[in-house]
Formats: sequence, C-alpha cells, structure tokens
Amino acid sequence: MSYAGVTPTARSRAMVRESRHLLFTVAPGAVWILLFLVLPSAYLMGVAFMTNGPYGLPQMPLSLASFERLAGFGFLGWSPGNLYTLLRSLWQTLISTGLVVIVAYPIAYYISTCREKWRPIMLLLVVVPSWTNQVIRTFGWMNLLAPGTPLSGLAEGLGLIPPNMGLYPSNFAVTLGLVYNFLPFMVLPLYAAFEKLDTAQVEAAQDLYASPLRAFWHAVFPQTLPGLLAGIVLVAIPAFGMYVIPELLGGGKGMMLGNLVANQFSGGANWPLGAAGAILMLIATFVGLFAMRRIGKRLGGGEEVVI
Amino acid sequence: MRKRTLKRGLTGFWWFTLAFLYLPLAVVVLFSFNASNSAASFTGISLRWYRQLMGNEEILSAFANSMVLAIVSSVIALGIGCLIGYGMYRHRHRKLGWLIVLIYLPIVLPDIVFGISEMAFFVQIHRLTGLFQPGLGTMIIAHVTFQIPFVALIVYSRFVGLDPTLFEAAKDLYATPVKRVIHFMLPTIKPALISAFFLSFTLSVDDFVISFFTAGPESATLPIYIWGAIKKGVSPEINAIATLMIGAVAIAAIVSLMFSRRRQA
Amino acid sequence: MTDSLTLDTGEASRAAAQQTESAEPTREASSIEMQGLHKRFGRDTVALDGVDLVIEAGEFFTLLGPSGCGKTTLLRILAGLEEADDGRLAIGGRDVTETPPHKRSVNTVFQSYALFPHLSVRENLAFGLKMRGMPPADREARVAKIAEFIHLGDLVDRRVDQLSGGQRQRIALARALVNEPDVLLLDEPLSALDAGLRSQLQVELLRVQKRLGMTFVFVTHDQQEAMVMSDRIAVLNGGVIQQVGPPREVYEHPANAFVARFMGHDNLYPISARDGDRLTTPLGVLSAEAAGEGGLLLIRPETLDLLPGEPAGDNQLPATVSERLYRGSHAEYRLEVGESTLQATLNNRGRHLPEVGDRVTVRVAPEDLVTLSE
Repeated sequence: MSYAGVTPTARSRAMVRESRHLLFTVAPGAVWILLFLVLPSAYLMGVAFMTNGPYGLPQMPLSLASFERLAGFGFLGWSPGNLYTLLRSLWQTLISTGLVVIVAYPIAYYISTCREKWRPIMLLLVVVPSWTNQVIRTFGWMNLLAPGTPLSGLAEGLGLIPPNMGLYPSNFAVTLGLVYNFLPFMVLPLYAAFEKLDTAQVEAAQDLYASPLRAFWHAVFPQTLPGLLAGIVLVAIPAFGMYVIPELLGGGKGMMLGNLVANQFSGGANWPLGAAGAILMLIATFVGLFAMRRIGKRLGGGEEVVI
Repeated sequence: MRKRTLKRGLTGFWWFTLAFLYLPLAVVVLFSFNASNSAASFTGISLRWYRQLMGNEEILSAFANSMVLAIVSSVIALGIGCLIGYGMYRHRHRKLGWLIVLIYLPIVLPDIVFGISEMAFFVQIHRLTGLFQPGLGTMIIAHVTFQIPFVALIVYSRFVGLDPTLFEAAKDLYATPVKRVIHFMLPTIKPALISAFFLSFTLSVDDFVISFFTAGPESATLPIYIWGAIKKGVSPEINAIATLMIGAVAIAAIVSLMFSRRRQA
Repeated sequence: MTDSLTLDTGEASRAAAQQTESAEPTREASSIEMQGLHKRFGRDTVALDGVDLVIEAGEFFTLLGPSGCGKTTLLRILAGLEEADDGRLAIGGRDVTETPPHKRSVNTVFQSYALFPHLSVRENLAFGLKMRGMPPADREARVAKIAEFIHLGDLVDRRVDQLSGGQRQRIALARALVNEPDVLLLDEPLSALDAGLRSQLQVELLRVQKRLGMTFVFVTHDQQEAMVMSDRIAVLNGGVIQQVGPPREVYEHPANAFVARFMGHDNLYPISARDGDRLTTPLGVLSAEAAGEGGLLLIRPETLDLLPGEPAGDNQLPATVSERLYRGSHAEYRLEVGESTLQATLNNRGRHLPEVGDRVTVRVAPEDLVTLSE
C-alpha cells in the first residue's frame, strides 16, 4: 500500500517545525550579538582605513595613513613614540606571562598535592581577589607602591630607586600589576592539568630516570602542557590589550597599546589611528587563539579549551 | 628527605603568594579606617570616611546606577541566553559552527576593542538618528552583549548533562509544549539559571572598561566613579567605598563555598 | 476479587473515557492498527519499510529483533515520539497518525527509566495526572492506589537518586500505569538489570498485565524474554516484519531462515531434491510428515533422540559426538553426520548420556521436521 501523498508533507512539515524552532530560540541572541558587537567591530575596522577629520572623527577618503602613524610616520617625520608603545606592550606581555607561569606552576602543583577537602578552598582563596573590581585592586597597588610606603622605602634602601620616587608610576609597577591580575587565570587550568596527572606514569619515570628533574621533564611536564597553553592564552591575550593597569600604574612612560587606542577616542584625538591600533589587537588575539588550537591539536589532547 | 624539603618550600611559597594576593586589598581595607587622610601612615581608627560616603550624592547615584545596570542587564541576558542555550542543545546535531563562533566572540574580544567599537558605533548612530544616547541604555546593551555567552554556555551544558529521554518522558506524560517548559525544563535547569544570573550580575558589577566607554555623563557606575576619583587625586573615601565592595565579594565567596560544600554532601 | 484500578465505575466514567483527553481515561484495552508504516532517517537509513500489523486489545505483544531492525522506531511511532513518513496508525479505532504524544492515551516505560531528577518519586508518579489537569486530591488517591498495586511500599517517599536500578524500573512502570493508558509501551525495560532481578521482574510485569488486561507492547532483542512473556511476537528485520504469531508458532514453525536463526535454531539444511515426503539433504535422505514447500529443512535439537548402535531404519543417521555441554537438566550435543554437523539436546532423565567420541545413531521423528524458505 502506498501513501505517496503523505511522504513529502510529513517530513517537510517536521523540517519546517524544527527550523522555525531553531529560529525562535537562536535568533534573538544571534541578532543581538550581530547588531551590537559584530556590526560595531566591522564599523571600527572600516574607520581604521579612513582619514582623520576634525574632532578626531573619521572622514573620507580611504587611506592607510593611520597605519603609517601607528608605525611612527607623522606630519613631522618619523618618531619612535608609537613603536615604543607597541614594543612595550609586547615586552610587558611576554615578561608578565613568563612570571605568571613561574609563580602559578608551583602553586597549582602544591594545591594538587594537598588534601582533597582543602583544595576547593585553596582554589577559592586564589580566585577571590580577582572577583573584586580591577580598578580597586590596582588602586591597592598604588597605595602599596607609592613614595613613603614600606615597600618603596625598602627599594630605596637597597638602592634600586632614587630617593622619594616611589615604585610607582613605573614599568615595574605595571608588570607587577599584570602578574597580580592574571595569576588566577594561570593557576586554574594548570591545577586542572595537575589533578588529572597520571601518577602511574610519574612513578614509572622515577624508576626510569636517574634525577628527579629528568623524571619531571619527561613525565610531568608534557602532561601539564595543555593546561599551560590554555593559561598562556588566557593571560597573554588580555594582557596585550590591558588598559586599566598601565593607565594607573604606568604613568606617561608606561603606556601600552590599550592606552594608545583609548586615548584616540577621548578628547577628540584620532579615531582612525585608534581603530588601526584596535585592528592590531584583534590580529594578535586571533593569531593567539589560532596558534593555541594548532598546538593543542598537535599535542593530541584534542581537548577544546573553553574559556 | 628531599621530598620533605620540597614540600616545606612549597608551603612557604604558598603563604607568600597568598600574602601577595591579599596585601593590596588589605591595605585598602586598613586605610579606609584611617583617622588621617594620609595614604602612607596609619594614625588611628575612625569611621569618618564611611560617614562622608553616606552624604555623598554622587557615590549614592553611582551605586544605584551599578545596581540598575547589573540587574536589568542580567535579566535580559538570562532570557536571551537561556533561549540560545536551549536552541544550541536542541539543534546540536546540526552544523552550528557559525553560532559557536558568534557566541565566543564577546568572550575572546579584548574588552578595550569591545568598548571602543560600541562607543564609536553608538556615537555615530546617535549623530545620524538621535537614538542610542550614551547613558544607562547603551551600557545595558553592552553588558547584555558580554553576558549572553556565559548564560548560553551554562544553560547549554546543563541540558547536555541531562538524559535526553527525559524530554520524551515529559511529552509522553501528557505535557503540552508550554507545560513542558514550566513543569520540566525550567525546574530542571533552575540551578543553572541561578548561577548564570549571579555570574552575569558579578560580571556586570566587576566591569570597568566597557562601562567606561559606553557610559554617558549621568550614568557613572561605582567603578567609573572610583576611577574618576583616583584620577583626580587619591582620597581616603575611595578606600571606604572599595572596602564595601570587597566586603560584598567576601560574602559572595563564603556563600559560594557553602554551596559547593552542600553539593559535595 | 477484582484488580480494577479505576476509582469510580459506571456510566459517568465510561462516558468520560470516550473523550480522549479526559482526566479519567478508559481502562478498557485498545487495539492498535498499523498500515504501511514507513520511516527513513537521513537519506539512506531505512528504519521501517512498510509495516502492516494489528495488535489485539489486551494482548501482551512483543516486537523482537536485533538492534537496528526498526523495533524501537516502531514503538516510538506508537508513542508519537517519532512521526511516520508514510502510512496510518490507529489506536482504539481512532486514527492517531498525526496526534502529538501528549495527546495520546499511550504511556511508555523507557529503557533509561527517564525519571525526572528534579522531582520526588511521588511527584514523578503524579506528573502525568497533573499534566492532564487532575485535582491534587484525586492525584494522591491514584498514586496511593498504584503504589499499593505495584507494592512500592516506602519507595514513594524517597528521592530519585536514592533508588536502585530495579526500584527505578518499578517506579517507571508505576508512573506509566497510573495514567491508565489505552496502551502501555515498554522499550527494553529490563535490559539494564542483572539476570536474577530480570526474571523476577518479568514475572511481575506479566502478572500486572494479566490483572489489568491492558494492551502491552514490549520491545526486546532477547528471544527467551519474548517467549516467556508474550501472547504474540512480531519478529522484525531490516524494517520489515518477518513473522507474527504466538511464541510456540514462531519458535516451532519459523517463517524463514532469519526467524529460525534469531530464535536460536542452528540445524538448517538445504533440500537438494524431494520425492513426495522424502527430502534429500546433506545429512542424508529424510522422510517428513506434512513438510511444507520451503527449500530449507529445520530440525529442532530437542526433537532428536540419540540411540546406541548402528542405524536400523528410516530417519536414522550415523553420527559421532564431537562436543557435549552438560547443563544439569539437559545436555547439549554437537554431532558430526558425514560432512555436516547437527545440534541435539537431550533431557537428563537418568538415561545414558553419550560422551565425546562415541558413535551413536540419531533418530529424527518425521512429524517434527519443518521446512521453511530462505
């Protein structure tokens, strides 16, 4: 018996129903993000290729002038100011990420060796400071590093800084602020890696390799690599675009890319230049994420790093 | 022998790191009770900065703005994010790569880029149409944008953790589509909804950069007010208001600890 | 003694039962009619390829087949969880082909039990009644009644995560039965349980069905379970029904080689020539009483007899014992007959059980031989 007439309708009716359902559930959020994030970002990218007009607002014609400015070419010939800012951003990102790894690695390992019932509390203790507002945390460091405080006095006594200067504003203060800010972002993924550590492998390595250092290098370190990579992405990408910390702790000579970009949008400076800087940040972000995915896949963990 | 030395060294390093993490906050709390307005020396305990806070109209309105912004944006994000999380779950067998990219975008975008894109966009639209006057409205839009992904991912992961035949059991037991939502789906994901709301709220209160660029002259939130005060020159009043915010976080931490304890039990 | 679950009887409830969405559904058993049901998944996977089937009211009916045969798809179409691409379905004489699941007076016991984790056991049991809009007092009475009927005892006051597998199974059964559906569907409900509990619950399920007189449609891949429980069995393969009949018929007279093999038969031999009742097979020439037309001969192991000495007459074959599995109540033999092998089962009634290596004579009863098509 055949009901040829029923076949297409029953199936297509179900498909239409499912598609409409998908539309109703997903469309509001998708449209929201498209309208209020993708569209503005696209606009910003467009701005980077426009010319600077009065009040810093963008205008036609299209040009690459902003990118030239970013590289230091201005009306008065080449000046290294902007390039210094870029290099400082890179340097601060590298040095603070490195320091965060150095601090976070033993801390994550230590937590994983403690008794199970203490571990959630220890993790919470590491994370709680980052729940307070970034501005307040940075303000705390301003108080600690200001001239006349014990820490500044100590540095003076050791001859590290000239008298009455204080430890802030300085590049050192910015590095410290970045390490402080991003430490939990590294501890969490590393801790997750340590907790999953295959202890049988470690014990085998202790038998196979003479020195504990070699055992660590061959058995422990590779297993924590995915967590380490996740941590590096979580730290380095936002560090590169950091605005608050260099603004408060860095002073004029501690400026980073984020400040360069932000300054172009306040006080009628130069939108196209700021937008060009933002594009640089976006490129860095996506290169970072892409590299992370590639390396993560090659490591074979196949684990998606979810932020 | 060597193992014990290592353990002792690590314990010392742990306490040192904890001191590093809490020292800046402790200083803020300590100096909020300072009798003098010196930032360098503690001269005696006093509550004068807190008293001064209570009389400061600007701080009170900043506090109100923060609350309105956090609550309104979290409620909107909860609704939209919940729908999208369910849609992602229900249609997870389809090719939804574009949707995943779209949802992760607000999370991975550096917040300075996020903030200035929206600001530039709102300013231009406002110049052309008069809509999107910078203020609480634009801030709410911006905050919802970065809250949606977190809500969606929390709701999605809750649904994925469920036995899929539960949905069929609800249908089989005479629940109409509307009743399925009310009597099955919402109660089942209630814990996820609560934690998504609190996360959204926290993200909103905690945010400075995006708020800063999308705010209008009348819509300063607490972090924006504090920022301004710091820029103008450090006042001990900031210590007091910051201490109150640290206190709120400490309470949240204790509550979350109690919740995780109960889950283990 | 009556085992009626219905709280009130008489005209009123009978009238209400006529309405499909009434709070008091009919308890009278319903028949199921399927006509030309087709279902495809994606482009290439055919789950059902034209199923015509009538399930009688009050029957314990089993859909039997290997995984992927379409039995679960068919059950899901009965529940309304899946819509057939083509064909008609009527339950209790009413066409429900396009009726959504929440409007069908049909309930399912799921393989995973699917108890709602956010509800207590009591709330789980009352869920269907609540969704149908029954007042709380009536719901409680009905839940209490079913709890007594299934002997749930104090399970009703526990949390779902405090239940064992067997307890969950019984709660899932009660949650479906409490709605007094026209038809109860069971999707391999016992497959997750260990053997002892499983046979205990098989008996209990059968008892419940007989006492309620409700139509049960049961899905399983276990032919033993199907034979123990069913009034009738439908064997499915590749989305097509191979045979429908009572367990004895399906076991003793399988319609084709697939059904025979699925029911556990190994002694299948091609018939190369036939002369009246005399069939030529690889085992030799055998005479059969009332053998059918098919080209395959089926010899059930339990119909064989093993005699000492040499063959002396018709339907006697010389054989060597190559394997013996002693199972207490009976013994299973593997015999070599010429180039072929033959399985035989002997009851252990104190007689001599030949051993491996023994030469024996196999006697085949002509009346027990069955032929079937490939």
